[in-house]
Amino acid sequence: MIPIELFLLMSAVLFSIGLVGLLVRSNSIVILMCIEIMLNAANLNFIAFASHVGAPLAQIFVITSITVAAAEVGVGIAILLHAYKSKKTTDINDLTSMRW
Amino acid sequence: MSFLADMDSLVAYLLPLAPHLILIITALIVPAIGFKSGKAAAFFSLGAGLFAIAVTAYMMYTGYKGDFEGLYMFNDFTALMIMLFLVVFCLVVLMSISDSERTKHHGEYFAILAIATVGMMLVCAAEEMISLFVGLELANIMSFALVAFKKNDPRSAEAAVKYLITSGLSTALFLYGMSLMYGFTGTIVINDIIYSLATQEITWAYAVAVTTLIAGSAFKISLIPFHAWVPDVYEGAPTPITTFLAVGAKKMGFIVFFKLFLLMFVVVHFLSAAAGEVAEIHQLQWVFALLAAGTMTVGNIVAISQNNIKRMLAYSSIAQGGYILIVLSVGTDYSMAGGLLHMITHVFMKGGAFVVVAALAARGLGESIDDYKGLAKRAPLVAFAMMLFMFSLAGIPPLAGFYSKFVLFSSAVEGGTWIWLVAVAVVNSAISLYYYARVVKAMYVDKGSTTERFRVPVSFKIALAVCAIAVIVIGIYPGPVMELCEMASFEYINGFLEWLKSSPYV
Repeated sequence: MIPIELFLLMSAVLFSIGLVGLLVRSNSIVILMCIEIMLNAANLNFIAFASHVGAPLAQIFVITSITVAAAEVGVGIAILLHAYKSKKTTDINDLTSMRW
Repeated sequence: MSFLADMDSLVAYLLPLAPHLILIITALIVPAIGFKSGKAAAFFSLGAGLFAIAVTAYMMYTGYKGDFEGLYMFNDFTALMIMLFLVVFCLVVLMSISDSERTKHHGEYFAILAIATVGMMLVCAAEEMISLFVGLELANIMSFALVAFKKNDPRSAEAAVKYLITSGLSTALFLYGMSLMYGFTGTIVINDIIYSLATQEITWAYAVAVTTLIAGSAFKISLIPFHAWVPDVYEGAPTPITTFLAVGAKKMGFIVFFKLFLLMFVVVHFLSAAAGEVAEIHQLQWVFALLAAGTMTVGNIVAISQNNIKRMLAYSSIAQGGYILIVLSVGTDYSMAGGLLHMITHVFMKGGAFVVVAALAARGLGESIDDYKGLAKRAPLVAFAMMLFMFSLAGIPPLAGFYSKFVLFSSAVEGGTWIWLVAVAVVNSAISLYYYARVVKAMYVDKGSTTERFRVPVSFKIALAVCAIAVIVIGIYPGPVMELCEMASFEYINGFLEWLKSSPYV
């Protein structure tokens, strides 16, 4: 049996990778992927806790959140495509027509 | 016979979700109508919204309370909030009827709007974390699709990308916080989570969980320092959707805060009172007080320098969020009633201001404050309504904004701990008067380039009349609405205390 601390450490590392990627990278597709990584870190936490206490409830949460994340990516990609059509770029540093 | 009996039990089973179901069915039918005509789709959604309001009002009137499988509940508090979201829905549909910013896909637009409203209504009815999360995401995903609906304006696409990224980040933070919370409470029922949040010792894991939860939901109500997306998104989105985000989505964020943190302070006070100690102030209450003070100050000060009216209203709505946050640091049921009242009046005054912006945009006026010069000569009634909304937002008696701010601030004076917060809020109200009065000055004092009269479309007139009458009536005769808010907050806090007393914890 793998101790739960390792799972939590793993998910914290995943979450940090996602957060740093979101803050550092400028390609909007990569940013969307970073958000997915962060969501999966949370899912990993849920699964680890659920198997630790032996309660199935949190697994329902994980299935729900995977579904929600899929919907989010679907709409998200559509919006990025729309932005690409009007701006011809996926770089968020070019999206600066509104400031202050 | 048995079929009828089955029908009866099915209706009783689904009754707590009646307003939600009406909107979901609407969302399924509306795209088909939208193929034929955009106007018909709008009128159908408006009718469904009004029908849902009537059903909710009837359920409220008969004092119905119900529970759906322990996932969603219907009581005085959720009824009031569902009513608020339905009013926002009807207002936004009314604004969208003759909206010129949207060129096609009318049916989809109203369907997505209805589903987003359902998401918000699910958030206020949620009793455990899964339904809360699903409601939040339903509203979120639908709203960033709506922001991108102004197809011919590149600013709309830019706003949608910004909204997508910030709200994705907020979802991830919120879900991570929830997963840690599940880790040390072992439950996803909100009431149990609140109890263990209140009684837990503060460890590093607790701090991470609470910080990510606050940060995740703070994006939705645009607290400092999570407010940077608000002006861009509000400026880029179609004006009806800006209204929807400013007066609807923001209230949803506050309900999440009320659900998770307000009751937690109630538990802390209850336990210390039961142990015969002086009620201590939880550290998080200080955090919320500082956030409230910072949010209103930054919102008001940055709003002064704005020339685009939608941006100015965006910063002012950040500031209004700061006022409502006072509720979380005070944490009594009177202050919560004040917060709910301010939410309701905010719908009409901020919603009304955006109706004016949309109505003028439909007649070709720009979004800059300079475009409003000499408006009093060109459209006297619209200018008068705008003046009412501006003064109500600034909190000038006898308008609605004054009364709700008065209740909110006076609730914070009680007890004496938060007098400095009230002082900050009052100074902020004075600052805010400057930029609201600037709009009024542009309309009434400055000379415009033309004095040509024009009329706004009828649907905007109706929306304006509803908002203006509500602002005046709630200002002069606030009794009934205040009573509803007091009932809702009493039900909310005392219902929770009843649950606590009968639970195995005490």
